[in-house]
Amino acid sequence: MSEWLESAITRAQNLNDWLAPKRAHAIELLTQTKWPTRKTEAWRYTPLRPVERTKAGVVSGDANLSPESITGLEAIELVFVNGRFDATQSAKELPTGLLVSLGQDVDSAQQTVALNAFSTIKPERHLFGLVNDALAEDVILVSVAEGVEITQPIRISSLLSQGAESHTRVQVTLAKGARLTVIEDIQAQGDTLSTAFVEYDIAADAHLDHYRFALQTGTNVSIGGSHFNLHDKSKMHSSIVGFGSDLSRLDTDIIHAGEFADAKLNAIYLLDGKELFDLHATVEHAMPNGTTEENVRCIVADRARAVFNGRIHIHRDAQKTLASLNNRNLLMSDKAEINTKPELEIYADDVRCAHGATVAEIDKQALYYLQTRGVSRSKAQVMLNFGFINELIDLMPNAALAEWVRPIIRERFAQMEVK
Amino acid sequence: MSNTNSLLTIKDLYASVEDKQIIKGLNLDIKPGEVHAIMGPNGAGKSTMGYVLSGREGYTVDSGSVTLGGQDLLDMETEDRARAGLFLAFQYPVEIPGVSNLEFLKASVDAQREARGEEAITSAEFLKEAKIACKQVDLPVSFLKRGVNEGFSGGEKKRNELMQMLLLKPKLCILDETDSGLDIDALQVVAEGVNSQRSADRSFIVVTHYQRLLDYIKPDFVHVLSGGKIVKSGDASLALELEAQGYAWLQNAPAEDELEG
Amino acid sequence: MTEQIDKALAREYEAGFVSDVESETFLPGLDEDVIRRISGMKNEPEWMLEWRLSAFREWLEMEEPEWAHVDYPKIDFQAISYYSAPKSMKDKPQSLDEVDPELLRTYEKLGIPLIEQQMLAGIAVDAVFDSVSVVTTFRDKLEEAGVIFCPISEAIKKHPDLVKKYIGSVVPKKDNYYAALNCAVFTDGSFVYIPKGTRCPMELSTYFRINEQNTGQFERTLIIADEGSHVSYLEGCTAPQRDENQLHAAVVELVALDDAEIKYSTVQNWYPGDEDGKGGIFNFVTKRGICHTNAKISWTQVETGSSVTWKYPSCILKGDNSVGEFYSVALTRGRQQADTGTKMIHLGKNTRSTIISKGISAGKSNNSYRGLVRMNPGAKGARNFTQCDSLLIGDLCGAHTFPYIESRNPSAIIEHEATTSKVSDEQMFLCRQRGLDPEKAVSMIVNGFCKEVFKELPMEFAVEAGKLLEISLEGSVG
Repeated sequence: MSEWLESAITRAQNLNDWLAPKRAHAIELLTQTKWPTRKTEAWRYTPLRPVERTKAGVVSGDANLSPESITGLEAIELVFVNGRFDATQSAKELPTGLLVSLGQDVDSAQQTVALNAFSTIKPERHLFGLVNDALAEDVILVSVAEGVEITQPIRISSLLSQGAESHTRVQVTLAKGARLTVIEDIQAQGDTLSTAFVEYDIAADAHLDHYRFALQTGTNVSIGGSHFNLHDKSKMHSSIVGFGSDLSRLDTDIIHAGEFADAKLNAIYLLDGKELFDLHATVEHAMPNGTTEENVRCIVADRARAVFNGRIHIHRDAQKTLASLNNRNLLMSDKAEINTKPELEIYADDVRCAHGATVAEIDKQALYYLQTRGVSRSKAQVMLNFGFINELIDLMPNAALAEWVRPIIRERFAQMEVK
Repeated sequence: MSNTNSLLTIKDLYASVEDKQIIKGLNLDIKPGEVHAIMGPNGAGKSTMGYVLSGREGYTVDSGSVTLGGQDLLDMETEDRARAGLFLAFQYPVEIPGVSNLEFLKASVDAQREARGEEAITSAEFLKEAKIACKQVDLPVSFLKRGVNEGFSGGEKKRNELMQMLLLKPKLCILDETDSGLDIDALQVVAEGVNSQRSADRSFIVVTHYQRLLDYIKPDFVHVLSGGKIVKSGDASLALELEAQGYAWLQNAPAEDELEG
Repeated sequence: MTEQIDKALAREYEAGFVSDVESETFLPGLDEDVIRRISGMKNEPEWMLEWRLSAFREWLEMEEPEWAHVDYPKIDFQAISYYSAPKSMKDKPQSLDEVDPELLRTYEKLGIPLIEQQMLAGIAVDAVFDSVSVVTTFRDKLEEAGVIFCPISEAIKKHPDLVKKYIGSVVPKKDNYYAALNCAVFTDGSFVYIPKGTRCPMELSTYFRINEQNTGQFERTLIIADEGSHVSYLEGCTAPQRDENQLHAAVVELVALDDAEIKYSTVQNWYPGDEDGKGGIFNFVTKRGICHTNAKISWTQVETGSSVTWKYPSCILKGDNSVGEFYSVALTRGRQQADTGTKMIHLGKNTRSTIISKGISAGKSNNSYRGLVRMNPGAKGARNFTQCDSLLIGDLCGAHTFPYIESRNPSAIIEHEATTSKVSDEQMFLCRQRGLDPEKAVSMIVNGFCKEVFKELPMEFAVEAGKLLEISLEGSVG
């Protein structure tokens, strides 16, 4: 076990609040866990040195941070600063049918419900998920009542100041037929460490649009999880945009716990410098007639390293499942590295599953075509790279978010090209 | 043979693809405003000629020279050749998903205007021009928003090429088998578009296997390319002759310049 | 429908008989003394014994791999006998006439007549029975061409320079748990050397047979194709039907020097165990080849046997422009488990690799493709294409794909595709509506699914593969 984990466990042991049962369970599992090495499959390509070496720690007091605004987006803001919920910056008035509460503020019956829901969606195999179980203190509970559509998106911002460590946790419950958009946004600069986990329970016929932006770069360690539980005929659409850092790791887990559920996941990551980004996307088809479509695209420049693990697991009962995963990668430099592993594990015969993965350099034919029209080689490269990514931006259901993130990505490309 | 007022002069050009020489002693001289048709059997080097002139990677010039408006074309990068006024309309335009047609066209026009020292065109102005161009080639305006050639039919791709030509206003257009895969209606649209662009300061090389296209785009000269060089030249009537007799009778004919020599 | 298909795939294990041959077999157990005795039985030089012992010491420190998607009881390495040979082989028969007729009958029954006049022309056979090579045919004819084809135990003595230079050069001693074990206790196997510029005049083939109870077979094959040479090598394997599991841990090393080409084909038909998973061979094999400049190694395998398979025939594409290929059909049924695939390690410029894997799962079996494609920084312009298709028959089996893709060169291109499908009711209906019986329909559909791989097999083996998948289906549906 690493020193870092030992000290995390010690800190957790000193906490005492309504989350105690969950914390005790997590600590028990953590003490049995071997600290991952290169031989640990889930961390094969992602060394944990940045965690071992981190100088980040608990920072208390006023950090004077507020979320960057997104043009054209009127969101219901929920703000964490250095791991603690900041009520002053968070929305005070909520639309009918939407409930947002801090775990310690609800009655014990509700706390029991929340405690039981924990980790039924987020798998316990996740080392840092357990760390989050052990260390998160402010837990936000979000719920949308039956049949209610919340038109305004909820934006959960997790802000970290230099040197801060943060462990945030959110539980989102959509009742039957509800509709909601949630944006998870992490904004951290400098030496920070964060674990940010959100669990979504999406009841029958409900529909979640989900976004996760991890656009911080630099020396931070950013580990997160978005976990989805889909019931009958529910739908989810997730869009993920990530830039790398010393260590950026995101696990998405989608469980088809009901029939005829539909999951779409589009992820983009653009890495530069010495950044690393590791996306582990797992889809569990436990019930029949589900559909999953995943598109993961990645561009890696300079000395950056990209890791992708895309696992689709079709359980014995999940007949008539349709699942596909498309993973495309562009390597821009001879020092950059891509490690990708699309996995299928299938135990039902009447299913249609496919995955495809490619690693390539830029399409030479397209480059030539652009050049014959007078566009310079470097500009053409940026355009093609952008086009490669833009296809997925176009699929974002929320136009304001697409328009907000598009120029950010464009700028990122421009920077990547300079080198 | 070259002339000071020539637009394009190709002299003794030899060029190879993957170590196989395809162009073997090509000579061609084009003056502003002229339309030259290049005909010939499959494998004669017709498409190769367009790729060599535009500087496609993998196409190497072994010897010879090409000038465009007096400038050494072979010395330039692909995009600089385009900026110098060379336009190649592809036989099989590539699809570029995710890059919108409009973005692509604006970038091309911007690059070329900048190279010519012209002022940048505003987005609004450009959009207006692009819409007009769409109408001219009979493409719905919605095509501007779609990925470049993405999911376009064969005919739509060809019209998209033509639209680019309208917007880029090149000095020399090479139309590579623009008629292939087009039905008669689409062919007419394309031909009308080309004809509308004919002017005293714009020349065309129309590469085609069939005479059909030349019913609509009347050439000033017709050349037969075979074995990598021009083996016969004539006026528009040569195309009709070829249509009637095929290419076989020409395969063994001596080259024009050899006759002259 | 599924039941019908499964029945159609069920077949008798025809190679399940036991030969009545008197054998000399070591008592079960493994220690340095056993290794000394194996080496002694083979009259090996000292260096070989030392090599074995150092491997054994490494092995003691290693752990059994657990990453494969297979599940089997822990192997008791002390319960296995590491050497067994027919007594009649002790006097080293000099010609076929001196070989125990019962041994010849065994191979004849398996469809591999060892009498040269009866053999298919053009195939030389090395027949390995438990721990020894019984006979190697056509040796004279091969010697004329300068080709060495002999048991590896003989090569160690007669061609020590070649063996010393190349053994362990492709699969290092401590490469993995089973390879290390093999290094310590290997008993026989084939050795092939093709001289410079030579095209081997005939197909070479080794036929492995496990006969004795409670023994493991640890064979070792080393093939060296010198510059500009060419060889096609075939390998077949069977074992009697027994209730206990038996271990087979082989190592195969291929060396293709500049401009050489090695084609290595396997039809693996070890006893798969019964419907309930009782008995069968644990087939834990390390196969790897190295390609020097412009060289090519092509692996083709048809895997239908063994209760557990753990096998990844691989290519190290070291030389520029070298080519690696892997074509595989793996059929699992009953309770069989297969975890098989390949590794293509691209080191040189413009190296190319192709992977075509077809997995067919039926019954309660599990069939996994596990592969690695790695483009190292030097692999400029390298290409890989991978196609992994799985066919599921019934809803109690599993089909899995675990491809690892690693690229460190921006000009390398990797394309990986995987699909899964089933024999559809529509396909079956169409075939039957046209008058085909269900067995024929299934075998046709399955054969069609495997076609890309079968066409890579040498003709003689294609027939055998076809037999395994097709002819055995006849009459099995009521």
